[in-house]
Amino acid sequence: MQPINSTTTRFDELDAGEIHGDGRRWYALREFFGNTQARVGLAIIVLLFLFCFLGPVFYHTNQVKVDLLTKDFAPSKQHLLGTDDYGFDVIGRLMRGGQASFGLGFAVAGVTTVVGTLYGAVAGIIGGVVDAVMMRLIDTLLSIPGIVLLLIMVNIFTPTLFTVILVLSLLSWLVVARLVRGEVLSLRTRDYVLAAKTMGSGTGRIMWRHMVPNAFGVIIVNATFSIADAITALSTLSFLGLGMAAPYADWGTMLSNGLNDLFDGYWWLIYPPAILLILTIIGFSLIGDAVLDSLDVRLRRR
Amino acid sequence: MRVIRTGAAVAAALTLAATAAACSSSSGSSHSAGGSSTQATGAPESGGTVTMQWVGGYPNFIFPLMPATNTDGYNGNLQLPLWPDLVYAGDRGQSVVNPDESLYSAMTWTNNDQTINITLKPWKWSDGTAITSRDFSFTYNLIKSLGQNWSGYLPGLFPDDVKSVQTPSTSTIVINLTRSYNPTFYTDNVLYAIPLLPQHAWDKESTTGAVGNYDQNAAGAKAVVNFLQKQGSDIATFTTNPLWKVVDGPWHLSEFTSSGTYALVPNKNYSGPDKPHLAEMVDAQYTTNDAAFNDLRAGDVTIGPIPGEDISQISYLKSEGYSVQDLTTAAEAGIYPNWFAPNGVGALLKQLYVRQAIEDLINRPQIVSQIYHGYADPGNGPISLNYTTLTTPLEKSGGPYPYSPSKAVAVLKANGWKVTPGGVSTCTDPGTGSGQCGAGVAAGAKLAFTLAYSAGDPDTDEMEAAIQTWEEQAGIKLTLKSEPFNTLVGTVGLCDQQSHPTSTCSWQLVDFGYDPYSLYPSGAGLFNTDGSGNQGGYSNPQMDSLINQTEYSSSPAAFTQYEDFAAAQLPQLWLPDPDVLLAYKSNLAGVEPANSFSADNDPEIWSFTK
Amino acid sequence: MIAYLIRRVGQAVVVVIGVMILTFILIHMEPGSVARSILGIRATTSRVAIFNATYGLDQPLYKQLWNYTDQVFHGNLGQSFYQQQQVSTLFAQALPRDIFLLGTSTVLALLIALPLGVYQAVKRNGLADNLLSGTTFTLYTMPTFFFAMLMVGLFAVQLHWLPPTAPQATSVAGMLADPRALVLPEATLTLTQIAGFSRYMRSSVIDTLAQDYLRVCRAKGLGERLVLWRHVLRNSFLPIVTILGLSIPGLVGGAIVVEDIFNYQGMGLLFYQAALRHDFPILLGATLLGGVLTVIGNLAADIAYGILDPRVRYAADK
Repeated sequence: MQPINSTTTRFDELDAGEIHGDGRRWYALREFFGNTQARVGLAIIVLLFLFCFLGPVFYHTNQVKVDLLTKDFAPSKQHLLGTDDYGFDVIGRLMRGGQASFGLGFAVAGVTTVVGTLYGAVAGIIGGVVDAVMMRLIDTLLSIPGIVLLLIMVNIFTPTLFTVILVLSLLSWLVVARLVRGEVLSLRTRDYVLAAKTMGSGTGRIMWRHMVPNAFGVIIVNATFSIADAITALSTLSFLGLGMAAPYADWGTMLSNGLNDLFDGYWWLIYPPAILLILTIIGFSLIGDAVLDSLDVRLRRR
Repeated sequence: MRVIRTGAAVAAALTLAATAAACSSSSGSSHSAGGSSTQATGAPESGGTVTMQWVGGYPNFIFPLMPATNTDGYNGNLQLPLWPDLVYAGDRGQSVVNPDESLYSAMTWTNNDQTINITLKPWKWSDGTAITSRDFSFTYNLIKSLGQNWSGYLPGLFPDDVKSVQTPSTSTIVINLTRSYNPTFYTDNVLYAIPLLPQHAWDKESTTGAVGNYDQNAAGAKAVVNFLQKQGSDIATFTTNPLWKVVDGPWHLSEFTSSGTYALVPNKNYSGPDKPHLAEMVDAQYTTNDAAFNDLRAGDVTIGPIPGEDISQISYLKSEGYSVQDLTTAAEAGIYPNWFAPNGVGALLKQLYVRQAIEDLINRPQIVSQIYHGYADPGNGPISLNYTTLTTPLEKSGGPYPYSPSKAVAVLKANGWKVTPGGVSTCTDPGTGSGQCGAGVAAGAKLAFTLAYSAGDPDTDEMEAAIQTWEEQAGIKLTLKSEPFNTLVGTVGLCDQQSHPTSTCSWQLVDFGYDPYSLYPSGAGLFNTDGSGNQGGYSNPQMDSLINQTEYSSSPAAFTQYEDFAAAQLPQLWLPDPDVLLAYKSNLAGVEPANSFSADNDPEIWSFTK
Repeated sequence: MIAYLIRRVGQAVVVVIGVMILTFILIHMEPGSVARSILGIRATTSRVAIFNATYGLDQPLYKQLWNYTDQVFHGNLGQSFYQQQQVSTLFAQALPRDIFLLGTSTVLALLIALPLGVYQAVKRNGLADNLLSGTTFTLYTMPTFFFAMLMVGLFAVQLHWLPPTAPQATSVAGMLADPRALVLPEATLTLTQIAGFSRYMRSSVIDTLAQDYLRVCRAKGLGERLVLWRHVLRNSFLPIVTILGLSIPGLVGGAIVVEDIFNYQGMGLLFYQAALRHDFPILLGATLLGGVLTVIGNLAADIAYGILDPRVRYAADK
C-alpha cells in the first residue's frame, strides 16, 4: 500500500471514495475508538469476555456432577443466582455458557464471512456463466429449508459443538454470498472501477483493492448479525428439542431450558441468560456500526 | 419442547376444554368408585358441550381393522367411542374388565381352558338391528383374512390359534382354540382388541353393491375388508359415509375437519347403561404441548395434562378452580441393554452382575421425589404399582435393587473388576470361573457404555444426567446421546440371535421411555426370547418358561413367580415411570377415578355439576 | 428482457431438479430404517417388509428417485407415511395459512420499518436514532421463542386480555372472525421482522445518502425531502428487495416457532414433524415447493433490482 502523499498519477487514488494507504487506515482506527458507540460496544464485549473466561478462575463451582438435591434453588448466599435444574450454580453456568456462546458465535461468523464474501465477490466480478452457475448453486442450497439440513445433520452426527458450528455456517454463508454479490454488481458499475479497468488492473486486484473494502459495510454489518444469528439459531434448535444435552451450556440453550420454568417463577433461570445474550449482541452490533462509520470515508464528509 | 406423554390407544394423555356448561343446576353427582355397576347419587346434569383436545394426534382411519402399516395410535380414540371392543378394559380406576361397557354378559372357559363360550348382551346397533353372534363371526372372518396385515396382529395368538368359531345361537359364540390358555391373559390381552362390526351393514364389496355373506369365503372376505379399509381411510367422507353411521358405542361422529378436530354426539340408541350426559364432545387438535398448556393456564381449557416440568403449577391451577387427578400409567419403564452390542459390550451386558451394579447405582427414589415431585411409579420391577392385585410384596417393598453404591462396588469387585470411582473400572480377572469377569469379557475391558435416549423432554434429560453422575461412583462411565424419538426408533432395531445387523444393532443402552401394558401385564413380547418388543435380544430359558406359564396356566402363583424372577433378572434396567397429571375444572364430575386403559377416558360417564 | 427471462427460467428448472436430487440424497443419508421409525418400536420384521414394499423403499436409490420424479411430473406428490393422506392435500391446507400469517406480518413490518429506517438514517446518531436502534436491537436479538413466550405469559396467562393460541379455524375467513387470537402471533412476527428490516434499511440509506450524485442533486437546489424520496429511497431499497426475495421460500420452513407456540397449523409445523418422523414424501414435497418458491423469489428480486437500479440492468444485459 503506498502512502497517500506519494504518486498521484494513479487515477483511482484521486477519487475520494477510495480506501487505501496506511495513513488512512490509522486514521480509521482513531475514528473508531473515538466513536462513543464503539466504546460502549467494546466495553460490553470486553467485560462479558472477562466474565466468561476469567471468571471461572476466581469463582469455582461444580459444573459437572449433577446433584438433584440442590436443583432449582432460589438465589442465596451460597449461590448468588441460585441453581438450575441439574443443581449447577447459575453464575458458574453462565460463565461456561458464555464461553460456548462466544466460541460458537465467532466461529460461525468467521466461516460465514470469509466463505460467503469470497464466493459472492468472485461470482459478482466474473459474471456471466460462472456467476449464473454459482448463484444457481446457492439457490439450490437455499431452497432446502434450513431446518431440514439441521435435522438431517442432527440425525447423522451427534450434535456436538463442532457439528453445530459446521451446520450453522453451512446455512448462513449463502445469504452473505448473495448480498455481497449484489453489492458487487452495483459497485461494478461505479466509476472508479471502470477507471481501474481501463488502467489495466486485473480482476483479482480489483476485487481485493477496490470492491471488498467498499463492500465492507455490508460485510461487517452481516458479520455482526451472523454472530447473533448463530447463537439464536442454536437456542431455537434447543427450544424445538434438537439442541445439545447437558452438561453442555450456552446462553441460548440455558434460556430455552429456562423457559420451561417460566410459570414456576424461576426467574434466575430465564432473565440472566436472556440479558447476557441480548447485551452481547447489542455490543457486537454497536461495534459493527462503529466500524462501518469509521471505514466509510464518504461518510466523513457529512 | 415440552413433551407430554402420550401413548398408544391405551395410555391416557388428554386435555379437555369445556365450554358452556349449559343447563340449570341440579344436585351434583359423580359415579361412586368401585368395580361394579353403580347408581348415580343424584341426577347428573345433562347437556353441555365438552371440547376435548388432542396433543400431537391426528386420526386418519375410521374403520376399526387397520392395516399393519398404520400405527397411528390416535385412531383408537376415534374408533373406540363408536365401536367399543368386546372386552372393555378398565373400570373407574380399577385394572379390571368393565362389565358395564363390555359387549358380553357372560364368558366361560371350558374344555380345559381351550374353549371360550361367550354370551352377548342383548344390545342393538344404532339403526335398531340387534347385535348378534353373526357380527362376531363377520369380524373374525375379516381379521383372519387380514392375517399379518392387521395392526392388532400378535404372532401365535388370535386368529392364528383359533381352531374354529361357532355361533350356536344369535347371542352365543363358541371359540375353540388350538391349546389351553390362562383365561385372564387371553381375555385381557387378546380378546380386548376385537370390536364387533355390523355384518348387516358392512358385508359389502362395493358402495353400491348389496349386503351379503361374502365374508364367509376367503376371496369374499378379502374383497370386503379391502373395500372397508379403503373407505375407512377416506377422511373427507368420515361423517357422510352411511357405513360409519352404524355404531354400537355411546357416541356418533358428527363432524371431522381437515385439521384433525372432530366432534362426537351421543348415540341415542346406545343400549348400555352408561349413556352420555353431555350434549356434544368436540375433540380439538393441538399440534404442540406449549400451546396446550398455555390454554390450560389461561383458563380456556377444562381438562388438560400437566407437563412434567410444570408440576409445581399444581397449586396455581388448584387456586384457579381446577382439580388434579394423578393417573398412574399402566406401563413399565426401563433402559434396554443390547445383548448383541458389538466390541464386547454385549458380552458385558449379558452378565447379570454388571446389570445389577448399574441398577444399584440408579437412585430411583430421588428421581421420583426430585424430578417427578412424587408423581411417578417407583419402578421397582416390571409391574407398576397400579396393578394392585398383581404386584408382589417384593416389588411393593422396593424391589430387589434399592440404591446402594457400596453394593455396586462390592459386586463388581467380587467379579474380578478393579473399581475406579470417577474414572473407568476395568476387568482385572477375566475368565469364566467364579469370581471372574465372565464369558466374552476380555482383560482390561472397560465399563463404559453409550446411553441413547429420546430428546425433547427436560425431565428425561435431567434423569439421564443424574444417572450418569451416580454411575461414576463405581467407575461406570456413561456417555449420553440424546436424539429425536423417531430417529431413535429408526436406528435402534430389534436385535436377536438370528439377526443383529450393525446398522440397527450397534446401540448399547437405550431408554425409550415406557412400554404400555394391556390389562394383564404379561411379559410376553418384552422379555421372552424373540419377543416382538425385546429390543436387546434378552434370552433366558427360565424366563421363557415362566412367561409361558402366565399365558397358559391359570394358577395365581404363576404370575408371582414370573414377576419376582423378572425383577431380579433385570432384562431391563428398571426406571421410575412418571404419572399423567390431569387438571380438570372442578365442576366436571365423573373424571375421577380415571381409567388408564381407556383411549378417551370414558367421557360417557361425565357430567357437569353446579 | 425476454431472452433474459427464458435463460433464467431454464436455470430455474435446473435448480429445482438439483434440489430434488440433493434432498433425496440427504434424506436417505439418515441412518436407520424409515419403516421402523414410522411403525414404532413394536414393528416386526414382516411389518417392516410390508411397509418397505408398499412405499418402494426396498428398491435401489436411483430407481426410487426415478419413480419419484416420474410421479411428480404427473402431478402426484405422493402420500405421507405417517398421516396417510396425499401430500398435496396437506400442503393445500397448510400453505394458505402461512401465506396469510407471514404475508400480513411482512407487509405490516415493511410499512413500519421503511419509514423508520429512513428516519433513523437521516437523524443519524441523534438521540432518536440511538433509542430506536436500541429498541430494534433488543427486538432483533431476542430469540423469537423467548419474545413469544413472554408475550403469551403476560397478555394471555396473566392479564387474560388475549387468547394464548391462534385461531383454529381452517379458512382465512374463519381466522379473521377471531381477530383477538390473531393479535399475539401477528405482533410477534411483525415486531421481530421490523427490527431486521429497519436496520438494513438504515444502513442502506446511510450508504446512499453519502453518494456523490446526491451532492449534485442538492447543488441543483432539490429540496431535501425530494432528494430523499426520489433518489435515496429508491436506491436504498435494493438490499431490502434481495431480502424479500429470499424470504419467500420461508413460507415453507415457515415461522415454525410461532406456529409451535400458538398452535398454528402451517407448513412449519408440518415440515418439522415430518422431519422428526422421517416422513419422506412430505419432506421431498416441501423442499420441492421451497425450491420452486425460491426460484420465483429470486427471479422477482432480480427483476425488481433491474427496475430500481438501471446500472445493474445494463450490466446484466451485457
